[in-house]
Formats: sequence, C-alpha cells, structure tokens
Amino acid sequence: MLTSETQKTSRLPGKREPAFDHSLMPPCQAACPLHMEIREYIDLIAQGKVMEALRVIREGNPFPSICAYVCAHPCEENCRRAQVDNPLAIRALKRFAVEFGGDRMIQLDAETRYDQRVAIVGSGPAGLACAYYLRKLGYPVTIFEAYLELGGMLRVGIPQYRLPRDVLDTEVERLIRMGVEIRTNTRVVSLDLLFDMGYKAIFLTIGAHQSLRLGIEGEDSPGVVDGATFLREVNLGLRPVIGERVAVVGGGNVAIDAARTAVRLGAKHVSILYRRSRGEMPADPQEIAQAAAEGVTFSYLMAPTRLKRTDGRLEVTCVRMELGEPDASGRRKPVPIAGSEFTEEFDTVITAIGQAPHVPGDFRLRIGRGSTIHVDPVTLTTTRAGVFAGGDAVTGPATVTEALATGRKAAFRIHDFLQHRYPLPERDVKEMLTGALNSKTAEAIRKAQRLEPVTLPPEVRAGDFRPVEMVYDWQTAVTEARRCLRCGMGAEILFQDKCATCLTCLRVCPYHVPYLDEAGTIQIPADQCQACGICVAECPAEAIVLRKPYDRRHIDEELNHILRSTAERHIPPVLIGFCCQYGLYGTGALAGFWRRARAGVWIVPVLCVAKVEAAHILRAFEMGAEGVFVAGCGEMCAREKTAFWVEQQIQKVRRVLTQLGLGAERLQSFLPVSGDQDPTAALDRFTEHIAALRLQEVFHREVKHDRCRAEASG
Amino acid sequence: MIVAEQKPVDEIERMIVPYERVLILGCGTCVTVCNAGGEREVSFLREALQLAAAKNAGESHVFSEYTVKRQCDEEFLDPIAPQVETVDAVLSLGCGVGVQSLAARFPDTVVLPGVNTSFLGMAQEVGIWDERCTACGDCRLDETAGICPITRCTKGILNGPCAGTKNGKCEVNKEMDCAWILIYRRLERLGQLDKMRRYYPPRNYRPIPRPRRIRAFAKLAPVGGNHG
Repeated sequence: MLTSETQKTSRLPGKREPAFDHSLMPPCQAACPLHMEIREYIDLIAQGKVMEALRVIREGNPFPSICAYVCAHPCEENCRRAQVDNPLAIRALKRFAVEFGGDRMIQLDAETRYDQRVAIVGSGPAGLACAYYLRKLGYPVTIFEAYLELGGMLRVGIPQYRLPRDVLDTEVERLIRMGVEIRTNTRVVSLDLLFDMGYKAIFLTIGAHQSLRLGIEGEDSPGVVDGATFLREVNLGLRPVIGERVAVVGGGNVAIDAARTAVRLGAKHVSILYRRSRGEMPADPQEIAQAAAEGVTFSYLMAPTRLKRTDGRLEVTCVRMELGEPDASGRRKPVPIAGSEFTEEFDTVITAIGQAPHVPGDFRLRIGRGSTIHVDPVTLTTTRAGVFAGGDAVTGPATVTEALATGRKAAFRIHDFLQHRYPLPERDVKEMLTGALNSKTAEAIRKAQRLEPVTLPPEVRAGDFRPVEMVYDWQTAVTEARRCLRCGMGAEILFQDKCATCLTCLRVCPYHVPYLDEAGTIQIPADQCQACGICVAECPAEAIVLRKPYDRRHIDEELNHILRSTAERHIPPVLIGFCCQYGLYGTGALAGFWRRARAGVWIVPVLCVAKVEAAHILRAFEMGAEGVFVAGCGEMCAREKTAFWVEQQIQKVRRVLTQLGLGAERLQSFLPVSGDQDPTAALDRFTEHIAALRLQEVFHREVKHDRCRAEASG
Repeated sequence: MIVAEQKPVDEIERMIVPYERVLILGCGTCVTVCNAGGEREVSFLREALQLAAAKNAGESHVFSEYTVKRQCDEEFLDPIAPQVETVDAVLSLGCGVGVQSLAARFPDTVVLPGVNTSFLGMAQEVGIWDERCTACGDCRLDETAGICPITRCTKGILNGPCAGTKNGKCEVNKEMDCAWILIYRRLERLGQLDKMRRYYPPRNYRPIPRPRRIRAFAKLAPVGGNHG
C-alpha cells in the first residue's frame, strides 16, 4: 500500500510532516483549575527562555505573579515525576519565570467594544480575573469593593510574608490601566440598585469572610478572635495586642497563617490545637513545616470545650480526642475521650475552623449548603436573571487558582449572556494522559532530586513580614525545569503502514517503552514515553514522530534559515554547530561560546542532540560548511543514552566523509562526560582549525588564479 | 530475512556519473529492517550524494527519492511508473531481487544496485546482523538441533566438530562460536546426543539446476468448458 505520505519526490526540507499536534494533556495541566500549559513553560525555562515562558504563562493566567506566590499547586500533587523521585517545583519555577521574564514590565490595554456595563461585586481573585477577561472582551467593568483596597482575600486574608503587597498592587494597577472602574469603600447592599444604575450584568464574588463559630461556652469573651478578623486587621495595618501565649484552633491554611502571623506580632508561645492528627490536616505540608520551624507548636487530637476569662487571661479547657469511623468528608471523625479534660492558660485564642460567605438578605438569592450562593455549575447563573456568582461565595473557602478559573469562566458566560447566545462549547480539549509509569520505566529514568527554593532562616523571617521564600537563581531553575518528564508529548508511530516492525525502536529505547502486542504490531504507549527522540532518529522507515513534532522539524527550518542568510551574503558558512538548548547552553560553560558566535559560525539550536540525524549533518556540509560540530550535555543530559546515539549518527557521517575524501576530522562532537569538563577550549581549537582549512582553500584558489593569469599574459 | 549492506558512497557516486536524473528507490521490507535501504537510508544517501556532487563541482545530478513497500513484486512498482519514465537511472536500495524486478518491470530504464545483498540472517542486537541460512534447498536442521552447520560452520561440514575447535570457538575466528559445539550442547540439552553419533553422508553437491522455481499449485490441464 502506498500512501501520499510516503511520496517524497518533491520533498521540501522542513515540510517532512504535516503540521499536527497529537500531544496529550499532561496530569499537571489537567489538575490546574486554569489548565495552564505547564509542560510548555517548564520546557522553555529548561532552555533558559524565560520571556517566552512568561508569555505562555500569561496566556493561561491573568495574574501569574500572584499565583507564583500563593498557588496551592495541585499540579505538583499530580506530577508524575513523584513516581520516580519527587514532583517538580512548578510554582517556584513559575515564580522564577515571572521575576526573570520581566512580568513587571508588561503593560496591558483593552479597548471597549460593547456598551453593556458589568458590575463586579467583590475584588478578590475571582472578581479581578472576571474584570480582566471582561475588559479583554471589550466590556466596561466596574468593581465594587467594601474595603479600602482591592484584592479581597489576597489583601485581607493572605499574610504579607506569603504575598508581598507590591505584587498585588502591580496587578491591580495593571487592571486599572486596562480601564476597569474601581469603587472601593463601597459595600453593595442591594442588587436592584446596581441594575437601576444601568449595569446589565452583575458578578457576585463576595468571598467567605464569616468565620464559623466553635459553638462553645465563653466564645464571645474578650481575647477570643476569629482567624479571618485577626488576619484582616493585621493585613490592613493594625497591630492587635495578642500577648505572649496564643492558641490557634483549627488545622487549615487560615490557622497556619494566623499562627505564623501571631509569631511575627511577637507572641512567644503559639500553639495550634487540632482535633484530628497530622495526617488529616488540610493545610499545605510545606506551610506546616515552615510554621514549625518558626516555633509554632502543634497539639493534635485536642479540642477546646470551654473558654473562661479570668484576671485578664483566658482559661481554655481542652479535651483529648481519638479517631473513630470515617465521616462524610472521608476523614476519620474525632471522638472525645471521656474524662481527659485539662485546662491551659492563654492570652489570646484565635479560632480558625472554617469560613462561610455572608450574603445580604436583600440580594434575594437562593442560598445553598453552608450559606453559599446557589448557582448553575455550567453557566454560573443564580436564581436572578443577569446575576452571576463565583469564588468562595459559591464554593466555600477554596484556593486562589480556583477563584481565578471561576472568574475567567464567569467572564465568558457573562459575555454569552449579554450577546444573547448559548454558552459556546469549551475550546478543543486535548485527550488526557492517564496511567502510572511502569516500574521498569520509572527505574530507567535518571534520578534527580527536587531543588527547593531558598527560604529565609526561621529566626530571621519570624521577626517581620518579609517574604519567606527566595526566587530561584538561574542555574537552579534550569536544573529543576530539566527534571520534567514531558508527559504526553512522546513518540508515536504516525505511519503504521510504513512500519516494517524491525523492532529498532524497541531495542534502542532506554526506558523499555515500545512493545510488541499480540497482533505483532509495535505499540509505543503515550503514558510511558519520555520523548527523548532516539527512536525517531533511528527508525529506518521514518515512521515514528514525536507527538509535538516542533523540536525535530525546527532543525530543518534552522538549516533553511542559514542557507538563505548565507546565500544573501554570498559567504558560505565556515562552521555549523548543532547545539543543545538545554542546561549547559542556557547557563553553563557553553553559553559563552554560543553567545559570542564568530563570523561564519552558525549555530543550529536543537532540543537535545538526540534529535540530530545523520542526514541533517550531511546537509550542513552540503550547504558549504568546512566543518560541523555537535555539542550537547553529554552525560549530564536529563535523558538516558542520548550521547551514545548521537555519537552513532556522527560515526555514520564520518564514514561517508572518509569515503568521499573529505576527511572525518571535519565533524566533531562535544559531549562532556562530567560536569567539570569545559568543552569551550576544545571548541575554540576546532573552530580555529576549520577556519584555517577555509583560509588554506581560499589561498590555493588565489594562487591558482594568479598563476593562470600570469600564464595567460606571459 | 534478507540482509544487505549499503555500498560505499564513492562507489555509488562513480556508478551514477553518466546519469543526470536519478531516482533513489528504497524498499520498505527486508532492507528497511537491516538499515540498508529503508526510507531513512534513502534520504541519507540522497544527502550524501548531493554533498559529493557539491564537492565535485563538475557533476550535476537531480535526485528524487521514493520508498515502495516491496520492490520484488511488480504490483508495488506500477504506481511509480510515471516517475521512472522521467529519470535516467533508478538507483535501487532493494536487494538483488528488487533490482532485477525493477529491471524486468522497466525494460527501458537503467537500474543500478545501491546495496550489496549479503545473506539470509537475523539481528543479533540493534545494528548487528548474523548469517543463518544459505538457502541450500535441503534442510537438515532436524538432525542438528536447529543450528545450521552448512551456514554457521566455516567449513560447512556435516560431521563435526573438526579438530580446529578450541574452547568452543572456531580456529578461523577466535570470537566465533564453533557451530558443532553449539549443536552438541543443544543436543545434550534435548537428550538427543544419539544424533551426534550418527554418520551423515556427504551432501549431494551435484549441480542443482538453477535458477530454481517453486510451484505452489499443480499444473492443471485445461478441461473443456469455458477454458476450452
């Protein structure tokens, strides 16, 4: 059987495969509420292309700098690298891209295309995101905020050491520049009034600021404060007097935030009382560890039963608990142990056992479970026409990223509503990658431990509200990004009819991924492939391609570019080098070489030298290069065996060069075997040697020319 | 499977000198599997020949490339007939059978061999192929425990091993296993060492009339009816 793909009589270099993208959605992207293209920007960071990485990030996230600090990173929980060693530090890498990619410099503008005005009640992440996207769509938007400053929970809930306020201010400022009208210090009490003011649609994101009550005796005593109020006061600049001994009741992120804030306010002894054990604690483990380092003590399986104010101190009666049967939330229900009560004294008790929205009755909306606003999950519409709701007010306390995602969704649903049409279907969603790594494959993957960003030492950071976490330095970020397994963009047999079932792929794969099924067909499972590209370069039938074929195709494109440029200048290239883009070249020793490329030296950037094929190298010679080199990370490559296989391709070309009398030494590889090897000197020597060859040739030609002329005239 | 090896580029280069337009034709079956004439080798050879032409400024060639599923059946060659008509020569990367099949199908076109068809063999590991069968037409593998002494013994003797075996290796090549030692070990394992004690008369080396032809179907005399 012949297909049109096999026909290559009029082959154009660079047009080898049709443009397609068969890549699957990796688990990190699937887990992200915003479905950010995490794999893509991590790969760009691994190449040291921070600005491009930031562009990818900004496409999927309205406020990346905020997420870079406070995202709860469900992506990391789903990262498949955890099956090899530990997950990638995705949030920290995003912060690196945001800071090094120049996010502060980015300016946004938007033009108004519609005249229907939209009111957004609440300026938390959901409200801000909705305003951002509505402005992008072209609607006039007004944000109503009850407090003095914008940001909602970002402003009044999250402590400054986790999210510096200048970051939030930058994003808010950008939003104002986009033309969003801001009404702070304006509490909305009636929706009718907004409609009367001429707003055609309202998005309610009033958050969940109402702390839940413990429901015990003495809860209203002075010295007892709820977490949301406490954090709000501190975040708005007050310095409440809390004394030396502080107890925080609860086990969520708000409890941890309150405890760490209390430490920073000068409390000597801060204790978290949680009624379950460490394993059930919903707070982020990293936050728990940081709090413990700052001196916060944790008392598990303990709950207060009575608070009593005596002589300016709070007497807290606690009871010990034990874990019983799992309850509705799936966690084991704590049961009090009879007779285990004891009393402890504190100056302040902060209750942080959960929060709920407080919806003014005048809104006349249907309220669901947990005092939340009832909405249609698809259209986000409430029981009143033109009123949409989202964020914590609908879901109960959730993450910033979830709120941003709801805000974005709401913007598009409001757009649909105002344009009188049914919600458009979601943009084409990629097939999701599922399944765990086979143990054989997981073992074959090079181990590389996760690199955590540096944090300030606890004794320093506990004193004030400085950001705790530092941003990565360049080297660490690139090294960390290179750990990505690139799930879902591996190899596939695109032309099954071309496959001769030669088993080359099965034999060359360092990860034991391809296998022969019962029918005698080669299968390359997408959930196992590591996208190293070795089988693509080795397949004798050229039947295999990467699911995202850009990194291979662009070698042809780069060669074409060199061909055009040199033809324009009438100077043939002296040296063409295939240089890996990852690691060493982004940061290390070779960066120098590749930045001060000399006249006549052309660099073809490749995404790992394993993707260089013998035919590419021959083409470089054909274009007139005196010499060609291949420079890669060698043994420091994040993948297995790439240096070995590119060396095979090089040997193959060397054989041909010898047969053609061109000399095998014109082709060199620079693949260091250890980190302290610096190939720059060797590369320089090679460059000089090749340049000398060119000079020699020019010289010979001139001499010959002169002699001819002399003979002709003589 | 047929194993072949691509000819050195300089040899091919000399071969194509008289022809301007050359179609490099790959074969998608055996020679693809042995990395001699599949689609990848076709593109590689094309680049190599273009490089050679670029270095010898006097020559000019126009190359085209194509890979068919199998060159040894004419049905696969029919679709490329219009293309073959436009070239001066076809450089076949198929085995000897493919070259001859092309020559038969396109009597007016020059067909050149790009590979040396070497033997019938199998892959030992990736990139290494070993000869296993000489296609003698008289198989005795039942008596030699599935190891062919005709092919794998340097001398091709039927009653081995000879005195040249040492530590299980052949005297001709210290790296190479002695086929008869392998046969002995395997017969021992199968409990059939009695086959070792038998004497095998020399093969009948009377000239076999070549070329050979195999018929799968009986020759039927046409009988009446519509065939009449």
